[in-house]
Amino acid sequence: MSRTPLVQLGAVMLKEVRQTVRDRRQMVLLVVAPLIQLVVLGYAVDLDIDRVPTVVVDHDRTVSSRLHVRRLLADGTLVEVARTNDEAAAQRMLELGTATVVLVIPPGFDRALARGDQTQVQVVLDGTNPNRSAVAAASVQRYIATSTVGAGSDLLELLPPLPRIDLATRIRYNPRLETAIFMVPGISAVLLILITMIVTAMGLTREREVGTLEQVLVTPLSPTVIILGKLIPFAVIGLFDFLLALTVGSWLFDVPIRGSLLFLFCVTALYLLTTLSSGLLISTVSTSQQQALLTGFAFILPAILLSGIFTPVMAMPWWLRPLTYINPVRYYAQVIRAVLLKSAGPSELWPHVLALAGFGVFFVIVAANRFRKQLG
Amino acid sequence: MRKLYRFLVRVGALASKETIHIRRDVRTLYMALGLPVVLLLLFGFGVSFDIDSIPLAVVDHDRTRASLELRRTFVASDDFRLVALLDDAEDAEPLFQRGRVMALLVIPPGYERAVAHGETVTVQLVLDGTDANTANMARGKAEGMALGVNLEIVRAATSGVVAGAPLGASIWTRFNPEGRSALFLVPGLIAYILAIVAVLLTSLTVAREWERGSMEQLFATPVGRLEIILGKLLPYLCIGLVAVLMVLTVGAWVFDVPVRGDLTVLAIGSFLFLIGMLGLGLLISVLTRNQLVATQAAFLSSMLPTLLLSNFIFPVENMPTILQWLSRIIPARYYIEVLRGVLLRGNGYAELWPDLLVLLGFSALMITVSAARFTRRLA
Repeated sequence: MSRTPLVQLGAVMLKEVRQTVRDRRQMVLLVVAPLIQLVVLGYAVDLDIDRVPTVVVDHDRTVSSRLHVRRLLADGTLVEVARTNDEAAAQRMLELGTATVVLVIPPGFDRALARGDQTQVQVVLDGTNPNRSAVAAASVQRYIATSTVGAGSDLLELLPPLPRIDLATRIRYNPRLETAIFMVPGISAVLLILITMIVTAMGLTREREVGTLEQVLVTPLSPTVIILGKLIPFAVIGLFDFLLALTVGSWLFDVPIRGSLLFLFCVTALYLLTTLSSGLLISTVSTSQQQALLTGFAFILPAILLSGIFTPVMAMPWWLRPLTYINPVRYYAQVIRAVLLKSAGPSELWPHVLALAGFGVFFVIVAANRFRKQLG
Repeated sequence: MRKLYRFLVRVGALASKETIHIRRDVRTLYMALGLPVVLLLLFGFGVSFDIDSIPLAVVDHDRTRASLELRRTFVASDDFRLVALLDDAEDAEPLFQRGRVMALLVIPPGYERAVAHGETVTVQLVLDGTDANTANMARGKAEGMALGVNLEIVRAATSGVVAGAPLGASIWTRFNPEGRSALFLVPGLIAYILAIVAVLLTSLTVAREWERGSMEQLFATPVGRLEIILGKLLPYLCIGLVAVLMVLTVGAWVFDVPVRGDLTVLAIGSFLFLIGMLGLGLLISVLTRNQLVATQAAFLSSMLPTLLLSNFIFPVENMPTILQWLSRIIPARYYIEVLRGVLLRGNGYAELWPDLLVLLGFSALMITVSAARFTRRLA
């Protein structure tokens, strides 16, 4: 007697798997597409700023002015793309976007420095990308500060030894400050929700559209069995995609796996519970696949962009931050990053796991209830 | 002449048929119009790299007036926010793992004495490097602060002899002097949101007709392939244009994005970009005939490239050569160039004509290819 539901569940799952496998394009999209996305994303996301194109306008044209320019460009943050005498032409390059920095050295620069007079170089920045212009400005300022200390050093030697604070910076978890090993785990979280939620929402809506859901209704299957039979195959695909992403991530992008994989696997299952059941919920409130897709998107896009994956949560305004606490993607992204990079475990991450479990149970109950009501 | 008239009548009839479809599904219409504005508001406020206060933990082994002074310097600047004062650096470990702190400042014992004796003291700063961008910012800010403290000490010790630095720099930032992320991100967001909505709207329409079997009924009528494509495109183009207007208005009004350049360039650019993305959606729909597959293809071909390869957030110059090359065929890259050019840099036709030309070519290509592929399937 107790075996009947299991047999029924097996039958529904088999039907679902057959249906998915028959459409080879869909199978390809479920497995190959995420892989392509992960690889492209991993290589594309690099927020490091260097090689900022710079136009040098040297009105002084002395050995000293040329030396200072060369030393300023030496660290590679700024790269000279043109040298001109025409300030207007340089500004024009800024307007065209071919250069981001214009460096103007005034006439009499060398003479002023030699006499110990104050002199100023002018730096014009394209502020369109504030991140970039800030880095360029910092690079110039750093050079000025160090060369100033250098200029005064003759004087300093005459004085008694001066106290100095030496700031020793140590960077943990990601000492080379690579963007990829931070982004690839986050992207995996995005891909998982994109695949599982949209596929369930649209797949179930399609069954309703085409009318096959009614045919399943006349069979002796209980709604619980139908739901489980439909969700489990996609959960398996999701877990497979997760392992695939992890393998590619560690192999291609050197993403470390420092924490417990088993723990991460369990948390991923919880996350998938949330994404799959919210897909189910969307299908119960949609009448066409287009509607299901747009509704899914209305939730997925904010969930992704307000998850801290691409931009830090701390950079959001205070009134938006509470919203991130009801975002399952945020919790999962934090867990996957903390486990992989910082070897964190259940003892540090239990609040996140609890939150994810809460979301999962909540969505399953709401979605299953709605689904059952619609069938009954 | 008569031929053209008939062509237009048929396109009109198909367009009004599609309009009826759209009007019947009011939720889709509302979402097509409302989603872009809601998303722009949410992202415009939410998407930013400007972290104003980095959570900092301090281990003060010295606990003197001088060490207190140093702590104050860090916290007073608003760049760092003190969240924990610890006894031991080991205690910071769980805080790092939970993401509660991103920086740890360790002041060694004997700090005050060393400073008073004129010795060099090493103060340790430990940063959470997982988010490389934020870690870089934190390092820059901390180094700036240390430099400031040192200059202060030097100035005090030499009683102002070394105060006036001979070499200075005057920095003038054009186009976005306050360095607001919104000015940079809003144009990109506009392109991103429009691309998604446009492709999602049309990628399903033709596939739906195939799935429901109504395509065969359409074949029984005398309409041609180009007429079907244009008839499907026009209603969505109208929706898209309204969405563009709303998004641009909200962007300019809520986020104070200036409009410095030629608005007609922007109008033409938006129009061409929309046609291109709607055409891409139609092409996907024509090729896949299956709504679920069509959406996945739409993700791959529009959503991700527009997010990643368009200069929206991630600078193209830093990417591997293959991706840089790939980004040249992403229409959003040119549209974002037009948006930033017109809105921020005050550009007009003289600067932006190549971008407009590319957008024109892309939209023409999309319409031609989808019409051409459509016939082959008819046979």
